[in-house]
Amino acid sequence: MTRLLVKGIGVAGAFGTGVESFQNALAEGRVTVGSIDVATGEGVQTVPAYRADTAGLEEFVPKRALRRVDHYSKLALLGSYLALKDAEMLGADLGRIGLVIASGYGATATTYAFLDSLISGGDNCASPTHFANSVHNAAAANVAITLGIRGPSLTVSQFDMSVPSALVSARQWLAEGRVDAVLFGAIDEVSELVAYLQHRRCGPRHAVSMVPFDAGSESSIIGEGAAFLVLTRDEGGPAYCGIDSVATGNIFGGELSLPDDALLLLGADGRSELARRYLDAVPAGGKAACYTPLYGCMPAAAAFDLAAAALALKSGRAFASPAGPSLFAPGKGDVSRICSLRLAGPSEYATVVMSC
Amino acid sequence: MDTKEKLKQILVKDLNLEEVTPEEISDSAPLFGEGLGLDSLDAVELVVIVQKHFGVEIKDMEEGRKAFQSVDSLAAYIEARTAA
Amino acid sequence: MTTWPVAITGLGCICAAGGTVPECLDSLYAGRRAPAHPTRFVSSHPTPFPVFEVRDYREPPELLRTSALAVQAAREAFADAGFSPEELRGLRVGVCVGTTVGSALNDEGFCRAHRAGEEPDLFPMERILNSNPAAVIARAFKCSGPCQTVVNACASGTDAVGLAASWIRGGICDVTIAGGADELGRITYHGFISLMITDDSPCKPFDRDRKGLNLGEGAGMLVLESEQVRVRRGARARSFVMGYGSACDAYHLTAPQPDGVGLRQAVAEALSCCAVAADQVSFVNAHGTGTPDNDRVESRVLAELFPGVPYHSTKGYTGHTLGAAGGIEAVFTVACLERGLIPASAGFENADPELAGEPLRSNREVAGGFALSQSLAFGGSNSVLLFGKGDAA
Repeated sequence: MTRLLVKGIGVAGAFGTGVESFQNALAEGRVTVGSIDVATGEGVQTVPAYRADTAGLEEFVPKRALRRVDHYSKLALLGSYLALKDAEMLGADLGRIGLVIASGYGATATTYAFLDSLISGGDNCASPTHFANSVHNAAAANVAITLGIRGPSLTVSQFDMSVPSALVSARQWLAEGRVDAVLFGAIDEVSELVAYLQHRRCGPRHAVSMVPFDAGSESSIIGEGAAFLVLTRDEGGPAYCGIDSVATGNIFGGELSLPDDALLLLGADGRSELARRYLDAVPAGGKAACYTPLYGCMPAAAAFDLAAAALALKSGRAFASPAGPSLFAPGKGDVSRICSLRLAGPSEYATVVMSC
Repeated sequence: MDTKEKLKQILVKDLNLEEVTPEEISDSAPLFGEGLGLDSLDAVELVVIVQKHFGVEIKDMEEGRKAFQSVDSLAAYIEARTAA
Repeated sequence: MTTWPVAITGLGCICAAGGTVPECLDSLYAGRRAPAHPTRFVSSHPTPFPVFEVRDYREPPELLRTSALAVQAAREAFADAGFSPEELRGLRVGVCVGTTVGSALNDEGFCRAHRAGEEPDLFPMERILNSNPAAVIARAFKCSGPCQTVVNACASGTDAVGLAASWIRGGICDVTIAGGADELGRITYHGFISLMITDDSPCKPFDRDRKGLNLGEGAGMLVLESEQVRVRRGARARSFVMGYGSACDAYHLTAPQPDGVGLRQAVAEALSCCAVAADQVSFVNAHGTGTPDNDRVESRVLAELFPGVPYHSTKGYTGHTLGAAGGIEAVFTVACLERGLIPASAGFENADPELAGEPLRSNREVAGGFALSQSLAFGGSNSVLLFGKGDAA
């Protein structure tokens, strides 16, 4: 399998904007959780949520050029610029670069806004601008247009498996020489719809902090943000780390095969129905970590896992899990290989193995 | 408020014209290309805006193109169809 | 870039032209089409627009129609490839499906009720979350390989097939079921009307008087297979994916780049994969939606890159099925190449003096070994598949 390198990272989330903010949050193990107000049958309710700010985008794009760009696409643009800048590729020829974006739910706020225009204005007042921006690939289109990326572009929406699934194809593009680099990213946004669904699922008493290792309780908190990576084939040169393998699919019976020499980075995110599957996946004596309490519960979080793993591998030291019980709270330890594990439903799985 | 003023306010708000105020839009300046810099997606949005705020239907883009020359022409188009 | 061909061993399709691949081909060759006003939903829009619905098909209540259509086409494709469910379970089977609405949290009734201050039943949202098209196929056929729902707007189905071929070449799967699926509903119907690119009469791709597209719905699926598994099974290759190219215009959210820069790049890439020359291509299944812009750009690029090569649009028979279009048209392209006969471009009557060429006016026999299917999408994505003739029947 073709090994890839992570050449650049661009992240925005509740922890702030950029690699440095992310690294600080990982080191401190703490992030301030925000909230969103949402209309419900019992009046306006406040739902805890990890919120991301896109003000940092003004450093890169004039406000005028963003007049039709929604929050979902702004997150993608911000992640893209940060990752390319980090890889020192801003301003370079982006002709042979591919663009791959993963999103679990797409532009949910604009999707809702389009429905709103239809419902409030009537069938002949549907907003074409909202419609055009509500398609899942609107973010990729806005990134391609703004940055002038003319290579292939792919948007994948596989709910919780969006990120690893998209990574399979990104890797193939590089393996086949279709492109020389892939701008790979994931985005999800906190919208009224997502918050309302969370409220119906978990409210009215919401968790105030995520405890992903506690299989007995529901503690998910919705999150939003963008995590982008610049990926190339492993042809040497400076990089955060390498990506050795990507595997994803369904297990119908049988066991998950996991490397025994890697730190397991669990995607557990406080959803009670998945917690047990995650904990059971850790072999006896195995080492595991989980950083989701720093960015929240969202399909795109899988890309934050990859970014966190890349930072840990670059420094050679794992970050302590922010909310681990004694069993899995690894002290800061040396690390040279990390396996990011994501699970969904009764049978879906994904592993991404990364190393120095 | 006259139609032109109302139009300008709606344009700025509904098309999210960053860094432009209604007062800065001249009655005769072209809306598309040079001028306000609107494009084909704004054009179809304008059709909806005119329908929603003024109850005037623009059936196709050929009609739209004539009406969308400037604030002057659009206001005249709307007034001719709401006067009756 | 050089890649090797990947065999296609099964086809499945359900759309307005028919419930199976043979039914669809019959309609195409007979020039039959039946666009009509929507029957599955109501609209208060003053102008009714014709659409191409799949008649006589009801999805099970627990699934989105999109995903049910996908499963239906996948079932036909697997059966056509000669795979039993048991056989599939012993292989690494991937699923790669293009769609536009198949994974959006987009339910009008739910939104309406929520806006009205009610606490709507969560069922419609749960149904969406249970209906990711690739995941539904994987569940239905117990596919253990990677699952990917491609949401590249109207190029999704084409991209899904191109990516699936790459998964086979990369050794990621033994078999991949790939294509596209989309249902027709009020949301896309009114969205396209709002963009003013729908025709209030049956669509007329490449015609002088074309006014826009008609929407359709359906699914088209192809079984792609590694040579190792195919040879072991003794399965006949109906065709081969010879090449895939994709490039972005980076121009505008809804309008194609007037010179077709991205489309040219995508065609060049698809041809280069197996070093096929443009003059070896015997026909092109064009995107041909019937919108003034699309057909202008496409016919310009076709005239320059493929002078004299016949082309047609099958959207006159199916409507524009959005995310499904690339899958359905891949199925048609493969089946027509195999049969050596391409159907007339339905809806075309009068040549447009502004366009460089014209599509096929009547069915035509073709002898060559390669055919192209192309898709242009919202956001400026252009994707192209090149198919090669398979084993003799």
